[in-house]
Amino acid sequence: MAAYLTSRLLGTVPVILLISLLVFGLIHAAPGDPTLMLLGEETNAEAVARAREHWGLDRPLYVQYLKFLASTLAGDFGTSFKFGEPVSGVIRQRLPATVELALCSIVIAVLLAIPLGVWAGAKPNSWIDNLGTTFGLFGISMPSFWLAIMLILLLAGTLNILPTSGRSTYGVAGPEITGFYLIDSLLQRNAAAVWDALTHVFMPALALGVNMLGILMRVTRSAVLEVMNEEYVVTARSKGLAERAVIWRHAASNALIPVITVVGLELGTLLSGSIIVETVFAWPGSGSLLISALNARDYPLVTGLVMVYTAAFVLINLIIDALYAVVDPRIRY
Amino acid sequence: MQTFVKISLSAVLAFQLIAAAPLAAQTRVSIGVTETIETHNPYGDSVSLLYGIWSEVTGPFCTYNYVKGDFEGRLAERWKVESPTIWVFYLNKNYKFNDGSPVTADDVVHSLTRRVIGDPQSKQKASVAGPIVKAEAVDRYTVKFITDKPAAPLLSFVCDRLIVTSKAIFDKHGRDAADRNYMLGGGPYSLKELVPGQRLVIAKRKDHPEAKKNPRAPDEIVYRVMRETEQRVTALLNDEIQIAQFIPPHLRHRVEKAPNLRITPVDSIEIMFLAMQPKPPFDKKEVRQAVCHAINRDQIIKTLLEGFASRLDGPIGPGQYGYDPNLKPKMNYDPEKAKKLLAQAGYPNGVDVELQTPVGRYTLDKQITEAMVPMLNAVGIRTRLLTPEWPTLWANVQKGLVPFYYMGRGSVQDPSAALHQYFHTGDTPRIGYSNPKLDELLDKEQAEFDPKKRRQYLSQAMSLLTEEAPACFMWRHKLLWGLHKRVDYKPLPDGRIYGIDMKVTR
Repeated sequence: MAAYLTSRLLGTVPVILLISLLVFGLIHAAPGDPTLMLLGEETNAEAVARAREHWGLDRPLYVQYLKFLASTLAGDFGTSFKFGEPVSGVIRQRLPATVELALCSIVIAVLLAIPLGVWAGAKPNSWIDNLGTTFGLFGISMPSFWLAIMLILLLAGTLNILPTSGRSTYGVAGPEITGFYLIDSLLQRNAAAVWDALTHVFMPALALGVNMLGILMRVTRSAVLEVMNEEYVVTARSKGLAERAVIWRHAASNALIPVITVVGLELGTLLSGSIIVETVFAWPGSGSLLISALNARDYPLVTGLVMVYTAAFVLINLIIDALYAVVDPRIRY
Repeated sequence: MQTFVKISLSAVLAFQLIAAAPLAAQTRVSIGVTETIETHNPYGDSVSLLYGIWSEVTGPFCTYNYVKGDFEGRLAERWKVESPTIWVFYLNKNYKFNDGSPVTADDVVHSLTRRVIGDPQSKQKASVAGPIVKAEAVDRYTVKFITDKPAAPLLSFVCDRLIVTSKAIFDKHGRDAADRNYMLGGGPYSLKELVPGQRLVIAKRKDHPEAKKNPRAPDEIVYRVMRETEQRVTALLNDEIQIAQFIPPHLRHRVEKAPNLRITPVDSIEIMFLAMQPKPPFDKKEVRQAVCHAINRDQIIKTLLEGFASRLDGPIGPGQYGYDPNLKPKMNYDPEKAKKLLAQAGYPNGVDVELQTPVGRYTLDKQITEAMVPMLNAVGIRTRLLTPEWPTLWANVQKGLVPFYYMGRGSVQDPSAALHQYFHTGDTPRIGYSNPKLDELLDKEQAEFDPKKRRQYLSQAMSLLTEEAPACFMWRHKLLWGLHKRVDYKPLPDGRIYGIDMKVTR
């Protein structure tokens, strides 16, 4: 296992290098100039030239790339043009919000999708199967930005039970410890802050998680449907086990492998999906930061964020591969 | 089931009461704003909203009074022009930093020379320092600004923009720590909290001279980033926020229907125009004039903009410095004249052009330009509409690569800087227009310190511009603000928000 993971980790090095080259090339090839975006509409040629020199944009592109690569290898993505602060610090400040949102989305998706998928798979063509399939289709088809607006109109507008946006109410949360508001509030035993964090995260997490919910529900249903006719399920039934035990202990547990794969893949999608949802809900995470950085053509921040996203994708895939061996004893690396 | 619902609702209510408990003591106004607030560095952005917020924390150096149509003192309580290139500002001795130390000429010099001009992280050099090359402290409360050439419109650079921070704190802690942990200001509000990308909170300094003048100004102001219009409207209806910036006309009815809310329209000082680079076919004045006569501005204002815009018959409108209601010529809608002008220019069979517009940057920009296309086609200017992404369009405009585009120029209190930027030879390639007569008039107005004579030069320059038509001046949008009735406030045309001008009922 350790040898496998090491070889996989080493295999990611060329992938990350290639991606760094692609991102760096693409962002520099995109029309637009950070100096013109950031210095305001009243800027002049002298200010632009000064900024280009300060940010190193007057140097040849390959020199800029090599400098970027060298500093990245040293764990430093450079200084953000827009913020004037180290990129790693800016990302560190905003990443917990995105991770918190993504985890909450997964919780919502998994808690709803797996029972619904298992039930639908175990009882094909029943009313619950039809309901689940319809719900899954709804989840897959729904664009998150549209759903986000609809949720705001319904839950914050018509019903007025949730706040429209943001991550917390001013004056409720205590000082930041980990950057994860839910964890911080729990650590501080601040019930009001826990509730506040939950009410703020619910809508964006739902908007983000519905798509995953749909996919996960359908995959679970298919996987359960497939194993329901396997011999070990028939054997379990013939032993006289209760139907619930047959479904959950024997069928569902064996149908988990494709579900884990989908969760892993969707976690990556959640990170990219959060770019839209964070913008709509004014969620101060790395997704909205990326939009802001792209609009400002903040090259170091854009490349830094994409590198972090890439690393996250690679890491998630690695964890998923490792989990296979835990879930299925037949798999050994 | 009913019991469960009741218990759940009670728990929700209890939690909400707990959450609200510590907030009840003060008057607070929450404002949904459209700009992102990302950095602790007050010199790190160059947008109207943030100039306003930081000015309120550090004390506006001076401010533009839209009712009087002139500048008035704040931290700099008065000023005089010592010579065409030297301005002297006298500071108000009652302005003190949060730690009680006075705001002095040294702080002004430090802020202008080290933070605005000298700091590579500053985004404000061109907007705030403009023609200023040097600042000197004459005595503890007197400061001198030296410009590279006579600069009559200097106040439009420094008023509501020059942010004055403490030199002592900067020297002691360095730039980043000073901004992040020791943000001292001499303004009527102090910075209380900044959560990048989410909100910024300022709290009133009750002992400040400006705060004493208006005891009903809110104790705390929370600026909440809300870029989505639906979000701002919903939050306003829920009383999550009490002021919402920029409600689009089609959503105003939802606000107007609410008994506790009102819509307040304000004439923006952003001028909207169609720019034409003097390259074929726009190298012919007649073609440019034909464009101006082809577009029915009144119809677009009446229909698409539902009346929420003021037509421009020249570069600027009422309330802006140097506005002349008698300015001529007026480029009225006249398609027949447009056709004749096009024929005179040598295009009797029409001409093909491409019009570029941003999408979503200005009110209904795409829809407006879509409406312009058939109007232009009708007179023979066959137009193809292009909608590049904003960073692409803006970069190309700044490099002079876009021959025909719809654009806005904000912060036009005094039009001098904008006119120079777009129409003075060699200042920027945005339009690339060159006219020695116009250059002469613009140079004269910039060097003329007699307001009456300066207005005359401005008027002549703007008349010439309207006649020559390197741009067709369209309108100023009326920006719609949604306000709760317990907040008595008249929003400003420039998008700045000054809490000290608000009156709040508990």
